[in-house]
Order: sequence, then structure tokens, then C-alpha cells
Amino acid sequence: MSLLEARDLRFAYGHVPILRGVSLHVDAGQVVALLGPNGAGKSTLIRVLLGQLRASGQVLWDGRDVQSWSRRELARRVAYLPQSPVFEPDQLVSDVLRTGRAPYWGAFGLESDRDIAVVQDVSHQLNLESLLLRPVGELSGGQRQRVFIGRCLVQEPAALLLDEPNTFLDLRHQAELMGILRDLAQRQGMAILMASHDLNLSASSADRMVLLHEGSAVSDGLPDQVLDPTVLARVYGVEMRRIDPPEGGHPIVYPIVGQDLSGTVTTT
Amino acid sequence: MIATLLIGAMLWAIVAAGCMCIGSTGAIGWPTDAFVRGYRMEVVLLASLIGAALGAAGVVYQAILRNPLADPYLLGASSGASLLALLWYVGSLATLAAPVQAAGQQVFAFVGALASVALVLAISSRRGRIEPVTLILVGVIVNAFNGSIYLLIFFRHPEIVSRGGVFTFLVGGIQTNLTREQEWAAAWCFAVGWLVLAYLAGQFNVAPLGDSEAESLGVRINRLRWGGIVIASVMTASVVAISGPIGFVGLICPHVARLVVGYDQRRLLPAATVLAAILLAVADAVARLLAQQSLFQSQLPVGVLTGLLGGPFFLVLLWRARRTAGGAS
Repeated sequence: MSLLEARDLRFAYGHVPILRGVSLHVDAGQVVALLGPNGAGKSTLIRVLLGQLRASGQVLWDGRDVQSWSRRELARRVAYLPQSPVFEPDQLVSDVLRTGRAPYWGAFGLESDRDIAVVQDVSHQLNLESLLLRPVGELSGGQRQRVFIGRCLVQEPAALLLDEPNTFLDLRHQAELMGILRDLAQRQGMAILMASHDLNLSASSADRMVLLHEGSAVSDGLPDQVLDPTVLARVYGVEMRRIDPPEGGHPIVYPIVGQDLSGTVTTT
Repeated sequence: MIATLLIGAMLWAIVAAGCMCIGSTGAIGWPTDAFVRGYRMEVVLLASLIGAALGAAGVVYQAILRNPLADPYLLGASSGASLLALLWYVGSLATLAAPVQAAGQQVFAFVGALASVALVLAISSRRGRIEPVTLILVGVIVNAFNGSIYLLIFFRHPEIVSRGGVFTFLVGGIQTNLTREQEWAAAWCFAVGWLVLAYLAGQFNVAPLGDSEAESLGVRINRLRWGGIVIASVMTASVVAISGPIGFVGLICPHVARLVVGYDQRRLLPAATVLAAILLAVADAVARLLAQQSLFQSQLPVGVLTGLLGGPFFLVLLWRARRTAGGAS
């Protein structure tokens, strides 16, 4: 049984269909990248998987329908990192991390010893100890993203859903983040689903890739299979090239700049 | 939370004792006369109660509306209360309205405050969902509308001016003609409401985040919004009914408390509550002091003082917000 299993999800905003029968699964210890152009339905799919939007079809966490989980229960099992998390610039890093324990707090927001211990463990694990007493607003983009990953881990989840976590990061921090995610999957057996626009970075860190196009999963498989330039060209609407490094490893794909499928060449 | 509450309660007790020593007749010192003592204690407790309710409601409004400039009057509680209090006044001038007279201005104001908030909620909710931005917008509109009707009635009944009744409903003050039942009703509203808010304090920590984030942290955000706004509004209505709209306490105190205890709502709620209780008790004592100096014909309504204090503070707040926004761009 997969940790997350979604079957034939269909969802529409009013009369505009966003998801047209998506099925996918994520197992423990797997990093799965969710790809597709803007508007393909990635963010909507993630919110459906979290049970925040009701779609037809089925979302099963641990084999149980997502709507039968209470919010608190699910929050202890699944953590979510949005594309741009909301934060109060003056808030201290330690307070942001503690918020991740909200699903465990008792009445009156009382904290247990375990709540405190978990926050300490996570800040150690992600190397956040020196930042704990600093306001979030003072941190660099990379540090801040680490804090938010930390808030997710403080939930002690079995699965992590991330919506384009690389958007505001430079190359080094992108690589660092991918390292953290791989590590979580391999060492802690976490199931990770990550929406992304970066095909190559995803290929380097994901076990599997799912390519969404107009609300359907057009391919699902190993990076080598999914990064098919013909399919990508159709999905992204731009001609693609693929290079397979002679020394092996995952392929590299890139768009041909200044040219779209109709063949018109733009000059600068 | 408990530590903050204990420290706060101690501070409040000290300040309240100090306020007890200031009389409106020029006498300074602990009142030895039992009657005077009882009277002053009533005034200090009332001021503290009104402040505490506004401070707590302010914290909740700011968290739920995700807006640092939100205060307990933003969704129409004060303008609704003023309007209905004025209506009662007009009604009581007409001799035939005995039932109206009997109901009491406080009951009218309470109903007005709640009706106004209910109207705002009804207009802004869509299929049971309420969004902060819509709420604020509708709140501003309803406040303005209530204000217009207020003026309309005022111009229709010029005799109100000569009776001196207008200001009572526009500027809040500690009323001295309350019955014990009215005082207890307000106190119970505050006590029960505050306990529920404290019970939810952990969830209020998550409320200022995005809807999806809050939900993924285990909070049903829409349900929390409804609960928080309804409770905070009932608390606000119950004190506005006995004091009129005392401005800025519900806005300032959450901010000052935040500077002291940080953003954690579990500490912020008790801290802002205590701070607001202290502030209003002191402001009222200052009003009594000023009355002794006979600078004014009668004792200033405490709402004038908090307004004087609050105006500049509000500007500093705006200025700081603008500076932060400028730095980020």
C-alpha cells in the first residue's frame, strides 16, 4: 500500500476544468517531482491531495480517504510548504518553528516536553541553532526556506508536499535544499512530492517524475523516461533539446531560446 | 500563558490600587470612607473590565483579519452601538415609548453593536466562508453608513443638542449610572468569552498564516474565523454597551504587548488584556485628576484621553509600517 494514492481526480473551478482525471501514488522513501507548465494544475492537485479542495475521485493517505481524516490528524502525518509562505518579519525563527507543533498542542495551546524537544532536534538537524533568536525578516532567502522546511519537519510528518520550493533560491541553496529532501527520503523514509519548474534539478534528485498537462498526467516514470523532448515540447509549447551525458547519469533538457513551435525566430 | 497571566494580574492589582487612591474631589490617598471606597472600586473595576475586553478582542481581530490596523470596532460594533443608543435617546424623548424607555440604553447599544457586526458578516460571507479583506471592506462601509444615519437622526432632532446627549454616544466614557445587573452581564460576557479565546489561543497562532498553511497545520481556518469574530464581537458589544466607543485601546494594546512578549498569541492574549485593563484604569484616574485641576467644566470622558494618546500612536505605527514596506521594495 502506498502512503499516498490518488485515483482519477477531477476538479473544476466553476466550469473551468483544472484536473481531468489525475492518478498518482507516492511511496515512503520516495522523492516524486510534479512537473508541468503554469496552469497545468500542480498547485490545485496539491491542495486536493491535502483535502483542502474537494475533487471527485479518491485521495487515500495510508489507505484512508483524505476527507475522513481530521485536520489535526492529517497535519501530524502530512506537512505542506507553499510557494511563498506567509511570515511576520519581526517574528523569531524559534517561534516560527514552534508553530509547526500546533497540531500537537493541547487546549489553551499548552506545550508538552516532547514539543520542545522536537523543535530542538529539528533545529539541530537543519543547522538552524544559530538563527533561533533572529527575526525571520532578517534572514536570506535560503536561510528562510530552511526555517520553513524546519517548521514542516517539526510536524513529524511521514509525507511532505512542497509547491515550487526552489522558486526564490540561488543555485547553491537549490542544491542544498534538494540534498535535504533526498536525505529525508533516504534516511527517514519520508515520502516527498514536490512541484517544480526546474526539469533538470528535479531529474537530479527525484526517484520519479509526473508530468501534468492541462489537468492530466501525461507521463509518470523515471526521469529518463519522462524527459522525452517530443513530449516536453508538446506540453511546454517550446522546442526542447536533450543531452545524455557521456559519463552517464540523468539526461539534461533545455528549451531552444527564441523559437516556438510555429517556427518563428525572434531576434534581439 | 499562565506565567504571563500571573505577572500581568499582579501588575494590574498594583496599578488598580494606585488608581483607587485618586478621587475626583481632589482627595488623594486610600479612601477611608466605605461609601467612597465602594464607589471608586466600582469605577476602577469597570474601567479595567472595559479595557480588558477591548484588548483581548483587539488581539483576536488583528490575528483573524491579518491586519495590524484592525481594532474591535472595525466590523461595526461601535457605530452600531452609538446609533441604537441615539435611537433609544430619541425614543425616550417621545413620551409614548415606555417599553423603549424601560429596555434601557445599554440594551439598545448592545443589540446595535451585535446587529451591526451580524450585518457585516452576512454581507461578506459567501457560502459560509469569510475572507479578511472582504470583511474589512464591508466593515468600513457599514461603519460609514451607520455614521450617516446617526447624523441624519441628529439633524432631524435638533433638540438632542440642547439636552447634551450627543457626545455620550460618540465618545466613550465610564458610565456611573449602571445597574448591578448590567455590570455583571458585561463581566460574564467578558469572562466566558475570554476563556474560550484562551482555549483557542494555540490556533490563533496559525490564523495569520495563509489559509492553506493554516489548514495544513491542523486548523479549520474558516471555523476559527467565525468563532473568533463572534466571540470577540460579543465581548466588544458587551462593553461598548456600558461605555460607548472608547477608542484606540483595542488597537494600541495588542501592539505594545507584542513589543513586550512577541508574536505568540498564547502570551499575547493575556498580555494585551492586562495591559488594556491597566491603560484604561490609569486613563480614567488621569481624567479624575484633571477634573480636580478644574481645567474643564466637568470630568473628561476617558475616550477623549485614549483618543489623544491613540492618534499619535497610530501615526507612528503607520510610519513604521511604511518604512518596513519601503525597505522591502
